[in-house]
Parts: sequence; C-alpha cells; structure tokens
Amino acid sequence: MNDALLSLVTPLVAALIVLTGPAMTPRRASVVVLLGSALSFAAALLALQTVTASGATQTLNLGGWEDGLAIRLRLSPLSALLLAFTALIHLLAGLYARFSRFASGDDFWVLSAFLHTALAALWLSADLFNLYITLELIGLAAVAMVALSGPKAYQAAADYLLLSLAASMIYLLGVVFLYSEYHTLDVMQLASVSADSARTRLALALITAGLMLKGALWPLHLWLPAAHAGAPAAVSALLSAVVVKGPLFILWLVWTEVAPADLAREVGPMVATAGMIALVAGGWAAMRSPYIKVLVAYSTVAQLGYALMALGLLMSWQIPQMHIALWLFVIAHGLAKASLFMAAGEMQGTLGTRRLTGLRGATQTVPIAMFAFAVAGGSLIGLPPSGGFLAKWVLLEPILSQPQNWPWAFGILLGTLVSAAYIFRVVVLAFDRATINPPDTRPHLMGHWLALLPALIVWGMALLGEQLIGLLAGGGV
Amino acid sequence: MSSLAANSIILYLLVAVALVMLGLYGLLVLKDPIRRLIAINIMGSGTFLTMIAFARRQDPPDPILHALVVTGLVVAISATAFALRLILAARESREAAASGSTEAEDE
Repeated sequence: MNDALLSLVTPLVAALIVLTGPAMTPRRASVVVLLGSALSFAAALLALQTVTASGATQTLNLGGWEDGLAIRLRLSPLSALLLAFTALIHLLAGLYARFSRFASGDDFWVLSAFLHTALAALWLSADLFNLYITLELIGLAAVAMVALSGPKAYQAAADYLLLSLAASMIYLLGVVFLYSEYHTLDVMQLASVSADSARTRLALALITAGLMLKGALWPLHLWLPAAHAGAPAAVSALLSAVVVKGPLFILWLVWTEVAPADLAREVGPMVATAGMIALVAGGWAAMRSPYIKVLVAYSTVAQLGYALMALGLLMSWQIPQMHIALWLFVIAHGLAKASLFMAAGEMQGTLGTRRLTGLRGATQTVPIAMFAFAVAGGSLIGLPPSGGFLAKWVLLEPILSQPQNWPWAFGILLGTLVSAAYIFRVVVLAFDRATINPPDTRPHLMGHWLALLPALIVWGMALLGEQLIGLLAGGGV
Repeated sequence: MSSLAANSIILYLLVAVALVMLGLYGLLVLKDPIRRLIAINIMGSGTFLTMIAFARRQDPPDPILHALVVTGLVVAISATAFALRLILAARESREAAASGSTEAEDE
C-alpha cells in the first residue's frame, strides 16, 4: 500500500514544487514533472509486485477512522496495474511534450501532474463519494489542459466543462440515492448489502448515465471529438489514453461489485449492444472525417466500444475472460492512442495542415511519424502480435466457443473492418506519392521518434501477454 | 429536535426532483453557455436538497450527508468560477475573431 501511496503522492509533490518553486522556468518544470512521473511509475511497479506476490487486496482507511466513516483506499492487482499504466502514459506524453518542437503550453507540466494525481486517486478509491471528487478533479485538470491550445480551444473547453459538470451532478444524485437506501458509500460494504429494488435501479441508472456522459461512451459521446481534437497533441494523448478510462473504471466497479448480480445480468446485453453500436458508428464517423485529429478522436469513441462490449458481456456472463479482455483493451488502446495523437500532432504541425488530404506522400515527407501512426493503427485494428490483438483474442475466445454468441462476434468483425478502413484510409493517402505535400526542409525528428515509442510498447505487450493475463485473471477486483 | 414527519421530507424530495428536472431541461434546451451553467447549478441545488432531505430522516440528522453537501458545494463553487472565466474567455476570443482581427484566425 505504501508504494501505491508513493505513486499517488509523487506527482502531487511535483505539481506543488512546480507551482511554488522559485525561478521555475518551463524547462525546469518539465524536469521536475518528468522525474515525478518516473518515480511514480517505479513505485507503481513495486506496488504491483507486492500486491501480486501477496495475492491479496490491501485496504487502508484514511485517517484511521473505523469502517463506514472512513474513506477507504484499496490496492488490488488491477489498480496497481492501472497506476503503472497511468504513470507510463504520463511519462511518455511528458517526454513528447518536452522534446517535440510543437509547444504544449507552459502550464502543461503542472496540470498534467495534477491530472496524474487525480487519476491515481481514482484507481485507488473504493468509496463512491471519493470517486466523485476524483472525477471532478480529473475533469477540471482535463478542461484546463484543453484550453492550453489557446483562444481557439476555449469554446471546446467550456463545452467540455459544462458537460462534465452536468455528468458529475447526475452521478452524484445516483450516489445519494444509493446512500439513502444502504447508508454507506463504501464499495465493499455496498457489495454485501445491495439488493434489487426500485430505488437501487434508479440510482444505478443515474450513475450509469452520468459516467457514460463523462466517459464519452456511446450514445453520450458527442462532446469528445471537439475537446480531444482541439487540445495540443500531448494533451490529446493523455485525454484519450487515460482520462476517458476513469469513468469506465467506476462503471465497471459499480456494475461488477455494487449492483446485484441479477440486475447486472439483465442490463449487460444493453451495455454490450451500446458498445457494438459505438464500434460501428464511431468508426464510420472516423472514416468520414476530413481532419486528422478528428479522425483519431472518433476512433477513441469506436475503440471504447470494445471496452463497453467487454464490460456488457462481463456483466451478463460473469466470466473472468471478459474482465481480462476489458482491461487489456484499456491498456492497449491507451498506448496505441497516445502514439496516434502524437504522430497526428507531429504530422499536422510539420506539414502545416489539419486536413487529411495534406498527408499525401507522408511516407516520404514524415516517414517516422507516419510509421508510428501505422504501427499504432495496427494495434487498434488488432493485428497480431500487438496488444490490441491480445485483447481481441481474449474477448473472442468465449464468444466463439458458443454458437448462440456468434452475433457478438459479428459485431467485433464489423468493428475491426471499420477500424481497418479508417486506418488504411490514412495509410493509402500517405503512400500516394504522386502529388505530395512538400517536405520539411529542416526536420526535427525527436518528436517523431517519441511518437513511435508508445506504439512499440503496445506491440511489445504481446511479449508480456501471459503475465498480464495472469495478473488480471485473479478476477474480481 | 425530532425528525421531520415523513410527509414533509417527501415534499422536500419532490422540490429537489423538480429542481433537478428543471436544470436538466435547461441544460438540454438552452444555448447560451452562462444560462446552461446556471441550469447545472440548479441541478446541483436539487441534488444537495435531496441529500439534506435524506439526512433529516433520522434524529439527529445524518452528519455524513451534511459533510457531503459541504464538500459538494466547494466543488460546485470552484467549478462554476472556472466555467464562468472560461465562458467569458471563449466569448472574448469569438468577438476578437468576428471583429476581423487576423490574429484570432491565423489558420
């Protein structure tokens, strides 16, 4: 637990040093925050090691208060894994923001450190109200980061903030109804007392609606493309890779632990269907988008469909494979999407256009960034042996073994085809060397290579496949 | 202090639900961002009123819910202040763009 707390506190300390430190230039701030992320990553890995070695979930009542009154933190293998994942993404995005020539804004450092802290607190929380607080912290940091791209993004940031506030209010109302029924906010206590009643159903419906709006899960995803495409590349990477996963985590927590199993079984197919529609509708919108970053943003909507589908099937079948598939998707998508957004940022900055047609001949003009885009895209499509393939394999296995489940496999197939279509649409343009957009006369390749790094890691995930599956196979929390 | 009669708690809850609905309706139909922000705050008032009404079901009133309301208010105030500033900044940048300043539309 101490390692996990260290992983939570280091980014907070880094943020405070940046805020209050004397003579804090952006360059020094970047060093402090990058060090914080690296330390946090190391601490998270230690926490992961201890928690898997002991094999038991550890809990901590903040302030030493007794159960029921205390805010409880909980460290499970999954939360340790997510801590490490968040720190890794922050490290990669931070390195990119530091060395790319396209500025992310001077305040990027302190905000990203705050965002990191809030996310770490979310993975560790096991208290519905505390989760609300972390959601708000994440929302505020994320909105401020969208606004970093300057006056043009203020409108998108304001819209994002309003939706985010409304979503958390709806979530909070649901939490209040749960409390009024069971007199506790603690997830583990709720798990043992919750029963199927009209008020529980209302509460769960409100919580689900709020979280789906916050997590941009279909059909409440309409705010996402503007917000994610408007932000600087490093920020878009963080938003798509980790921020939208926060609400997803709470949704998973609520439906697998708090909700009565029968109710979850009843609602599961609806959630899975929403995921399937997200896959197709999001992919279709990505395919038709004329702008590079909007395409990548819609692809987030589509890819979250896989996670939503895995969650829905987990709810209705209650089998551990879906749990593994869900979190493998989250991690594989996070890494691949970070790479895609950074590569997209590099390409549109270097080629001086936001339009997809500007990518003509990109294999010649920005070869490394384009390679990163294609490699990360391969993981989104699910080409072996990438992380995306691993996740899809685990998801498909139980579906294919039962003929009555084949309609779901059809949905996944359709989703894969659409993903392939929007990725290849970019790749085909990039190989069109007939009328190329003129190349950069003074290339600055560091950013391109850093954009490639997360993509390589996601392909390397296959090497760790067995360990990851074993880690998540502990099931439950 | 005795706990309130069940009827009056239901009255408070009805008012709270009405406030939430009103806020939600406003959020869905209004276009002006400041009005939408106010609609969200009305929703928030409804949520907090729900908490206070539930707190009075027992005697003495449930302190946990009161603590949650106080925390929620702090969050709501900060978020509202941030949203107001952001909305104004967005409006300023839009007006700058509309008045033909080339800086705001350099793409």
